Amino acid sequence: MHFDRALTIGSSVRMISPDSKNCAETPEALITRIAGTRDRAAYATLFTRFAPRIKAFVMGQGMTAQEAEDLAQEALLNVWRKAHMFDASKASAVTWIYSIARNLRIDAARKAKRVRELPEDLWQGDGDKAADEQIVDTQSAQIIKKMLDALPPEQKDILRLSFYEDLSQSDIAKTLSIPLGTVKSRLRLAMTRLRTAMDGKSTGVKS
Amino acid sequence: MSAIHHPGEDLLWDYFRGALAPGLRLSVSTHLDLCPQCRDDLRVFTAIGGALLETTEGVAMSDNALDLALARIERPVDLPEVSDAPAPARRPAFLEGFELPPSLQSAEIRGRYFVAPGVWMAPIALPGEPRAAKTYLMCVKAGMEMPEHTHRGREITVMLQGQYRDHKGLYQRGDFTQCDEADDRHMPVMMGDVDCLCLVAQEAAIIPKTWLGWLLKPIARI
Repeated sequence: MHFDRALTIGSSVRMISPDSKNCAETPEALITRIAGTRDRAAYATLFTRFAPRIKAFVMGQGMTAQEAEDLAQEALLNVWRKAHMFDASKASAVTWIYSIARNLRIDAARKAKRVRELPEDLWQGDGDKAADEQIVDTQSAQIIKKMLDALPPEQKDILRLSFYEDLSQSDIAKTLSIPLGTVKSRLRLAMTRLRTAMDGKSTGVKS
Repeated sequence: MSAIHHPGEDLLWDYFRGALAPGLRLSVSTHLDLCPQCRDDLRVFTAIGGALLETTEGVAMSDNALDLALARIERPVDLPEVSDAPAPARRPAFLEGFELPPSLQSAEIRGRYFVAPGVWMAPIALPGEPRAAKTYLMCVKAGMEMPEHTHRGREITVMLQGQYRDHKGLYQRGDFTQCDEADDRHMPVMMGDVDCLCLVAQEAAIIPKTWLGWLLKPIARI
Protein backbone atom coordinates (compact mmCIF):
# COMPACT_ATOMS: atom_id res chain seq x y z
CA MET A 1 0.00 0.00 0.00
CA HIS A 2 1.20 3.45 -0.78
CA PHE A 3 0.48 6.82 0.74
CA ASP A 4 1.78 9.88 -1.00
CA ARG A 5 4.61 11.57 0.82
CA ALA A 6 3.40 10.56 4.22
CA LEU A 7 6.66 11.19 5.99
CA THR A 8 6.09 13.73 8.71
CA ILE A 9 7.94 13.57 11.96
CA GLY A 10 6.27 15.38 14.82
CA SER A 11 2.86 16.92 14.62
CA SER A 12 3.75 20.16 12.89
CA VAL A 13 1.84 20.62 9.68
CA ARG A 14 3.95 21.72 6.79
CA MET A 15 3.14 23.00 3.37
CA ILE A 16 4.19 21.18 0.26
CA SER A 17 4.69 22.86 -3.05
CA PRO A 18 1.80 22.42 -5.48
CA ASP A 19 3.88 20.73 -8.15
CA SER A 20 4.75 17.81 -5.87
CA LYS A 21 1.12 16.70 -5.88
CA ASN A 22 0.06 13.76 -7.95
CA CYS A 23 -3.08 15.14 -9.56
CA ALA A 24 -3.70 12.74 -12.39
CA GLU A 25 -7.39 13.01 -11.80
CA THR A 26 -9.27 15.81 -10.04
CA PRO A 27 -11.05 14.94 -6.80
CA GLU A 28 -14.23 16.25 -8.45
CA ALA A 29 -13.92 13.57 -11.14
CA LEU A 30 -13.20 10.86 -8.56
CA ILE A 31 -16.27 11.71 -6.48
CA THR A 32 -18.41 11.82 -9.61
CA ARG A 33 -17.20 8.32 -10.50
CA ILE A 34 -18.01 7.10 -7.00
CA ALA A 35 -21.51 8.56 -7.28
CA GLY A 36 -22.05 7.17 -10.76
CA THR A 37 -20.72 3.62 -10.58
CA ARG A 38 -19.67 3.10 -6.95
CA ASP A 39 -16.13 3.00 -8.31
CA ARG A 40 -13.89 1.37 -5.66
CA ALA A 41 -10.65 2.28 -7.42
CA ALA A 42 -11.69 5.95 -7.44
CA TYR A 43 -12.46 5.65 -3.74
CA ALA A 44 -9.05 4.10 -3.02
CA THR A 45 -7.33 6.96 -4.88
CA LEU A 46 -9.35 9.57 -3.04
CA PHE A 47 -8.69 7.87 0.29
CA THR A 48 -4.97 7.66 -0.35
CA ARG A 49 -4.86 11.29 -1.32
CA PHE A 50 -7.00 12.79 1.46
CA ALA A 51 -7.03 10.54 4.55
CA PRO A 52 -3.38 11.30 5.51
CA ARG A 53 -4.02 15.02 5.05
CA ILE A 54 -7.15 15.00 7.16
CA LYS A 55 -5.26 13.04 9.80
CA ALA A 56 -2.44 15.60 9.80
CA PHE A 57 -4.89 18.48 9.89
CA VAL A 58 -6.87 17.34 12.94
CA MET A 59 -3.74 16.17 14.76
CA GLY A 60 -2.49 19.74 14.47
CA GLN A 61 -5.74 20.79 16.13
CA GLY A 62 -5.02 18.62 19.14
CA MET A 63 -6.43 15.18 18.34
CA THR A 64 -4.37 12.10 19.16
CA ALA A 65 -3.02 10.03 16.25
CA GLN A 66 -5.67 7.35 16.87
CA GLU A 67 -8.56 9.83 17.08
CA ALA A 68 -7.28 11.56 13.97
CA GLU A 69 -7.00 8.28 12.10
CA ASP A 70 -10.57 7.34 13.07
CA LEU A 71 -11.83 10.76 12.02
CA ALA A 72 -10.08 10.50 8.65
CA GLN A 73 -11.69 7.06 8.11
CA GLU A 74 -15.10 8.43 9.06
CA ALA A 75 -14.71 11.49 6.82
CA LEU A 76 -13.89 9.43 3.74
CA LEU A 77 -16.71 6.99 4.54
CA ASN A 78 -19.01 10.01 4.54
CA VAL A 79 -17.63 11.03 1.15
CA TRP A 80 -18.51 7.54 -0.15
CA ARG A 81 -22.01 7.64 1.28
CA LYS A 82 -22.80 11.22 0.31
CA ALA A 83 -21.11 11.19 -3.11
CA HIS A 84 -24.51 11.34 -4.84
CA MET A 85 -25.15 14.67 -3.09
CA PHE A 86 -21.98 16.21 -4.50
CA ASP A 87 -22.47 18.39 -7.56
CA ALA A 88 -19.18 18.84 -9.38
CA SER A 89 -20.63 21.67 -11.46
CA LYS A 90 -21.35 23.68 -8.30
CA ALA A 91 -18.88 22.70 -5.62
CA SER A 92 -15.16 22.33 -5.10
CA ALA A 93 -14.40 18.79 -3.90
CA VAL A 94 -11.61 19.73 -1.55
CA THR A 95 -13.72 22.32 0.30
CA TRP A 96 -16.55 19.78 0.45
CA ILE A 97 -14.24 17.17 1.97
CA TYR A 98 -12.84 19.78 4.34
CA SER A 99 -16.38 20.67 5.50
CA ILE A 100 -17.19 17.03 6.17
CA ALA A 101 -14.03 16.61 8.25
CA ARG A 102 -14.61 19.88 10.08
CA ASN A 103 -18.16 18.94 11.04
CA LEU A 104 -17.04 15.53 12.28
CA ARG A 105 -14.37 17.14 14.43
CA ILE A 106 -16.81 19.62 15.95
CA ASP A 107 -19.33 16.84 16.64
CA ALA A 108 -16.64 14.71 18.28
CA ALA A 109 -15.54 17.58 20.51
CA ARG A 110 -19.09 18.40 21.56
CA LYS A 111 -20.01 14.80 22.20
CA ALA A 112 -16.94 14.31 24.38
CA LYS A 113 -17.83 17.42 26.33
CA ARG A 114 -21.45 16.37 26.82
CA VAL A 115 -20.61 12.84 27.84
CA ARG A 116 -18.49 14.35 30.60
CA GLU A 117 -21.22 16.74 31.70
CA LEU A 118 -24.50 15.07 30.96
CA PRO A 119 -25.96 11.57 30.86
CA GLU A 120 -25.73 10.29 27.33
CA ASP A 121 -29.46 10.02 26.75
CA LEU A 122 -29.76 13.76 27.10
CA TRP A 123 -27.46 14.25 24.19
CA GLN A 124 -29.05 15.32 20.95
CA GLY A 125 -28.05 17.12 17.81
CA ASP A 126 -28.73 20.81 17.80
CA GLY A 127 -29.54 21.54 14.21
CA ASP A 128 -26.37 23.33 13.20
CA LYS A 129 -25.66 24.22 9.62
CA ALA A 130 -25.10 21.14 7.51
CA ALA A 131 -21.83 20.96 5.63
CA ASP A 132 -23.42 21.40 2.26
CA GLU A 133 -24.86 24.78 3.18
CA GLN A 134 -21.39 26.23 2.82
CA ILE A 135 -20.82 25.12 -0.72
CA VAL A 136 -17.85 26.78 -2.37
CA ASP A 137 -17.68 26.59 -6.15
CA THR A 138 -14.49 25.46 -7.87
CA GLN A 139 -13.73 28.90 -9.23
CA SER A 140 -14.03 30.60 -5.83
CA ALA A 141 -11.89 27.88 -4.27
CA GLN A 142 -9.19 28.54 -6.88
CA ILE A 143 -9.36 32.30 -6.30
CA ILE A 144 -9.01 31.89 -2.54
CA LYS A 145 -6.13 29.49 -2.94
CA LYS A 146 -4.28 31.92 -5.18
CA MET A 147 -5.08 34.90 -2.95
CA LEU A 148 -3.84 33.05 0.15
CA ASP A 149 -0.38 32.87 -1.37
CA ALA A 150 -0.46 36.58 -2.09
CA LEU A 151 -1.39 37.67 1.44
CA PRO A 152 1.25 39.49 3.51
CA PRO A 153 3.10 37.02 5.78
CA GLU A 154 1.68 38.48 9.00
CA GLN A 155 -1.88 37.91 7.77
CA LYS A 156 -1.01 34.43 6.55
CA ASP A 157 0.40 33.60 9.99
CA ILE A 158 -2.90 34.50 11.63
CA LEU A 159 -4.79 32.24 9.25
CA ARG A 160 -2.35 29.37 9.71
CA LEU A 161 -2.62 29.54 13.49
CA SER A 162 -6.39 29.80 13.20
CA PHE A 163 -6.85 26.79 10.96
CA TYR A 164 -3.92 24.52 11.73
CA GLU A 165 -3.88 25.01 15.49
CA ASP A 166 -7.57 25.77 15.96
CA LEU A 167 -6.87 28.81 18.13
CA SER A 168 -9.18 31.63 19.16
CA GLN A 169 -8.03 35.14 18.42
CA SER A 170 -7.00 35.79 22.01
CA ASP A 171 -4.92 32.58 22.01
CA ILE A 172 -3.26 33.70 18.78
CA ALA A 173 -2.43 37.04 20.41
CA LYS A 174 -0.80 35.18 23.32
CA THR A 175 1.09 32.81 21.02
CA LEU A 176 2.51 35.64 18.93
CA SER A 177 2.86 38.06 21.87
CA ILE A 178 0.97 40.78 20.03
CA PRO A 179 -2.11 42.75 21.13
CA LEU A 180 -5.53 41.19 20.48
CA GLY A 181 -6.48 44.26 18.47
CA THR A 182 -3.64 43.55 16.06
CA VAL A 183 -4.83 39.96 15.55
CA LYS A 184 -8.36 41.21 14.92
CA SER A 185 -7.29 43.82 12.41
CA ARG A 186 -5.02 41.39 10.55
CA LEU A 187 -7.77 38.80 10.26
CA ARG A 188 -10.18 41.52 9.18
CA LEU A 189 -7.78 42.73 6.48
CA ALA A 190 -7.21 39.20 5.24
CA MET A 191 -10.93 38.40 5.22
CA THR A 192 -11.81 41.64 3.44
CA ARG A 193 -9.28 40.92 0.76
CA LEU A 194 -10.38 37.31 0.29
CA ARG A 195 -14.08 38.15 0.40
CA THR A 196 -13.63 40.95 -2.09
CA ALA A 197 -11.70 38.65 -4.38
CA MET A 198 -14.41 36.01 -4.11
CA ASP A 199 -17.44 38.14 -4.83
CA GLY A 200 -16.47 41.78 -4.55
CA LYS A 201 -18.98 42.96 -1.98
CA SER A 202 -18.31 44.25 1.49
CA THR A 203 -20.35 46.76 3.44
CA GLY A 204 -21.64 47.06 6.96
CA VAL A 205 -20.57 47.51 10.53
CA LYS A 206 -18.82 44.83 12.57
CA SER A 207 -19.84 44.95 16.23
CA MET B 1 -33.38 44.34 3.18
CA SER B 2 -30.32 42.77 4.70
CA ALA B 3 -28.62 43.16 8.04
CA ILE B 4 -26.18 46.03 8.55
CA HIS B 5 -24.91 45.07 12.02
CA HIS B 6 -22.86 41.89 12.01
CA PRO B 7 -20.92 39.72 14.45
CA GLY B 8 -17.19 40.45 14.40
CA GLU B 9 -14.80 38.11 12.60
CA ASP B 10 -13.63 36.79 15.97
CA LEU B 11 -17.13 35.59 16.84
CA LEU B 12 -17.71 34.19 13.35
CA TRP B 13 -14.42 32.36 13.59
CA ASP B 14 -15.33 30.83 16.96
CA TYR B 15 -18.68 29.81 15.47
CA PHE B 16 -16.96 28.23 12.49
CA ARG B 17 -14.58 26.21 14.63
CA GLY B 18 -17.44 25.09 16.88
CA ALA B 19 -16.17 26.83 19.99
CA LEU B 20 -19.21 28.89 20.99
CA ALA B 21 -21.49 28.04 23.92
CA PRO B 22 -24.98 26.97 22.79
CA GLY B 23 -26.68 30.36 23.29
CA LEU B 24 -24.07 32.32 21.36
CA ARG B 25 -24.02 29.61 18.71
CA LEU B 26 -27.79 29.90 18.23
CA SER B 27 -27.51 33.70 17.96
CA VAL B 28 -24.83 33.53 15.31
CA SER B 29 -26.63 30.84 13.34
CA THR B 30 -29.86 32.91 13.50
CA HIS B 31 -27.98 35.90 12.14
CA LEU B 32 -26.46 33.70 9.42
CA ASP B 33 -29.93 32.58 8.35
CA LEU B 34 -30.75 36.24 7.73
CA CYS B 35 -27.41 37.54 6.44
CA PRO B 36 -25.97 36.53 3.06
CA GLN B 37 -22.85 38.59 3.71
CA CYS B 38 -21.83 36.63 6.80
CA ARG B 39 -22.68 33.38 5.04
CA ASP B 40 -20.15 34.52 2.44
CA ASP B 41 -17.59 34.99 5.22
CA LEU B 42 -18.16 31.40 6.31
CA ARG B 43 -17.76 30.33 2.71
CA VAL B 44 -14.42 32.14 2.66
CA PHE B 45 -13.42 30.27 5.86
CA THR B 46 -14.42 27.00 4.22
CA ALA B 47 -12.44 27.83 1.08
CA ILE B 48 -9.37 28.72 3.17
CA GLY B 49 -9.72 25.43 5.05
CA GLY B 50 -10.01 23.52 1.79
CA ALA B 51 -6.97 25.25 0.31
CA LEU B 52 -4.92 24.56 3.44
CA LEU B 53 -6.05 20.92 3.54
CA GLU B 54 -5.01 20.52 -0.07
CA THR B 55 -1.50 21.79 0.62
CA THR B 56 -1.04 19.98 3.94
CA GLU B 57 1.59 17.31 4.05
CA GLY B 58 -0.16 14.18 5.28
CA VAL B 59 0.61 11.98 8.26
CA ALA B 60 0.85 8.27 7.36
CA MET B 61 -2.28 6.26 8.06
CA SER B 62 -1.75 2.87 9.66
CA ASP B 63 -0.83 -0.04 7.36
CA ASN B 64 -4.28 -1.57 7.13
CA ALA B 65 -6.15 1.73 6.79
CA LEU B 66 -7.00 1.39 3.10
CA ASP B 67 -8.13 -2.25 3.53
CA LEU B 68 -10.32 -1.18 6.41
CA ALA B 69 -11.74 1.70 4.38
CA LEU B 70 -12.52 -0.59 1.44
CA ALA B 71 -14.15 -3.11 3.78
CA ARG B 72 -16.26 -0.49 5.50
CA ILE B 73 -17.88 0.72 2.28
CA GLU B 74 -19.10 -2.84 1.61
CA ARG B 75 -20.94 -3.05 4.90
CA PRO B 76 -24.60 -2.17 4.80
CA VAL B 77 -25.43 1.04 6.57
CA ASP B 78 -26.81 -0.37 9.81
CA LEU B 79 -27.82 2.91 11.39
CA PRO B 80 -30.40 4.96 9.55
CA GLU B 81 -28.80 8.11 8.19
CA VAL B 82 -29.34 10.90 10.67
CA SER B 83 -31.95 13.06 9.05
CA ASP B 84 -30.64 16.45 8.01
CA ALA B 85 -33.98 18.05 8.67
CA PRO B 86 -34.35 19.01 12.33
CA ALA B 87 -37.26 17.49 14.18
CA PRO B 88 -40.34 19.66 13.90
CA ALA B 89 -40.60 21.57 17.15
CA ARG B 90 -43.84 22.23 18.91
CA ARG B 91 -44.56 25.81 18.13
CA PRO B 92 -46.26 27.72 20.94
CA ALA B 93 -49.44 29.55 20.02
CA PHE B 94 -48.04 32.91 21.09
CA LEU B 95 -45.55 32.72 18.20
CA GLU B 96 -48.29 32.62 15.56
CA GLY B 97 -47.78 35.39 13.03
CA PHE B 98 -44.03 35.69 13.60
CA GLU B 99 -41.70 34.63 10.83
CA LEU B 100 -38.97 32.62 12.53
CA PRO B 101 -35.70 31.79 10.72
CA PRO B 102 -34.79 28.08 10.31
CA SER B 103 -32.37 28.15 13.25
CA LEU B 104 -35.29 28.86 15.60
CA GLN B 105 -37.83 26.57 14.00
CA SER B 106 -36.07 23.58 15.53
CA ALA B 107 -35.42 25.29 18.88
CA GLU B 108 -37.30 24.23 21.99
CA ILE B 109 -39.13 27.41 22.94
CA ARG B 110 -40.76 27.29 26.38
CA GLY B 111 -43.82 29.16 27.65
CA ARG B 112 -43.73 32.94 27.72
CA TYR B 113 -44.13 35.18 30.74
CA PHE B 114 -44.68 38.91 31.01
CA VAL B 115 -41.92 40.94 32.64
CA ALA B 116 -43.66 44.30 32.16
CA PRO B 117 -46.87 45.46 30.48
CA GLY B 118 -46.53 44.63 26.77
CA VAL B 119 -43.19 42.88 27.25
CA TRP B 120 -42.84 39.10 27.31
CA MET B 121 -39.94 36.69 27.40
CA ALA B 122 -39.89 33.04 26.31
CA PRO B 123 -36.86 30.98 27.41
CA ILE B 124 -35.22 28.65 24.91
CA ALA B 125 -33.95 25.31 26.23
CA LEU B 126 -30.56 24.44 24.78
CA PRO B 127 -28.76 21.16 25.46
CA GLY B 128 -25.40 21.72 27.09
CA GLU B 129 -25.98 25.34 28.01
CA PRO B 130 -24.23 26.42 31.23
CA ARG B 131 -26.72 26.83 34.06
CA ALA B 132 -26.25 30.56 34.56
CA ALA B 133 -26.50 31.41 30.85
CA LYS B 134 -29.87 32.50 29.49
CA THR B 135 -31.25 32.41 25.98
CA TYR B 136 -34.73 33.67 25.22
CA LEU B 137 -37.04 35.37 22.80
CA MET B 138 -38.18 38.80 23.88
CA CYS B 139 -41.12 40.68 22.46
CA VAL B 140 -41.90 44.34 23.09
CA LYS B 141 -45.28 45.52 21.89
CA ALA B 142 -45.24 48.43 19.49
CA GLY B 143 -45.36 51.74 21.31
CA MET B 144 -44.11 50.28 24.61
CA GLU B 145 -40.89 51.27 26.32
CA MET B 146 -38.00 48.90 26.63
CA PRO B 147 -37.73 47.92 30.32
CA GLU B 148 -34.74 49.29 32.17
CA HIS B 149 -32.02 46.69 32.35
CA THR B 150 -28.36 46.15 33.07
CA HIS B 151 -25.90 43.91 31.30
CA ARG B 152 -24.12 41.20 33.23
CA GLY B 153 -21.45 39.73 31.02
CA ARG B 154 -21.75 39.49 27.27
CA GLU B 155 -25.24 39.80 25.88
CA ILE B 156 -26.18 39.29 22.27
CA THR B 157 -29.34 40.40 20.52
CA VAL B 158 -30.54 39.39 17.07
CA MET B 159 -33.51 41.32 15.74
CA LEU B 160 -36.26 39.19 14.23
CA GLN B 161 -39.02 41.72 13.72
CA GLY B 162 -39.59 45.44 14.20
CA GLN B 163 -36.90 48.03 14.74
CA TYR B 164 -35.12 50.03 17.39
CA ARG B 165 -32.44 52.67 17.51
CA ASP B 166 -29.55 53.22 19.89
CA HIS B 167 -26.25 55.14 19.85
CA LYS B 168 -24.88 52.75 17.22
CA GLY B 169 -27.72 53.17 14.78
CA LEU B 170 -30.91 51.52 13.60
CA TYR B 171 -31.51 47.80 14.13
CA GLN B 172 -33.85 45.73 11.99
CA ARG B 173 -34.51 42.08 11.09
CA GLY B 174 -31.24 40.17 11.07
CA ASP B 175 -29.17 42.81 12.84
CA PHE B 176 -26.76 41.49 15.42
CA THR B 177 -25.54 43.41 18.43
CA GLN B 178 -23.27 42.64 21.34
CA CYS B 179 -23.31 44.47 24.67
CA ASP B 180 -21.38 44.09 27.89
CA GLU B 181 -21.03 45.85 31.24
CA ALA B 182 -19.12 48.67 29.57
CA ASP B 183 -22.13 49.57 27.44
CA ASP B 184 -23.86 51.83 29.93
CA ARG B 185 -24.95 54.04 27.07
CA HIS B 186 -27.21 51.30 25.78
CA MET B 187 -30.60 53.00 25.70
CA PRO B 188 -32.60 51.35 22.94
CA VAL B 189 -35.63 53.21 21.62
CA MET B 190 -38.34 51.20 19.85
CA MET B 191 -39.32 52.53 16.45
CA GLY B 192 -42.34 52.13 14.20
CA ASP B 193 -45.67 50.45 14.81
CA VAL B 194 -44.69 46.80 14.57
CA ASP B 195 -44.06 44.63 17.65
CA CYS B 196 -40.36 44.03 18.26
CA LEU B 197 -39.22 40.43 18.51
CA CYS B 198 -35.62 39.54 19.20
CA LEU B 199 -33.45 36.65 20.26
CA VAL B 200 -31.30 37.40 23.31
CA ALA B 201 -28.39 35.31 24.55
CA GLN B 202 -26.73 36.15 27.84
CA GLU B 203 -23.49 34.53 28.81
CA ALA B 204 -23.20 33.16 32.31
CA ALA B 205 -22.73 35.91 34.89
CA ILE B 206 -19.55 35.71 36.90
CA ILE B 207 -20.19 33.90 40.15
CA PRO B 208 -18.24 35.17 43.15
CA LYS B 209 -15.84 32.63 44.56
CA THR B 210 -15.26 34.03 48.05
CA TRP B 211 -17.49 34.33 51.10
CA LEU B 212 -17.15 38.09 50.87
CA GLY B 213 -18.27 37.88 47.27
CA TRP B 214 -21.37 35.91 48.26
CA LEU B 215 -22.17 38.43 50.97
CA LEU B 216 -21.81 41.30 48.53
CA LYS B 217 -23.72 39.53 45.76
CA PRO B 218 -27.16 41.02 46.46
CA ILE B 219 -25.67 44.49 46.82
CA ALA B 220 -23.57 44.29 43.68
CA ARG B 221 -26.50 42.72 41.79
CA ILE B 222 -24.20 40.16 40.21
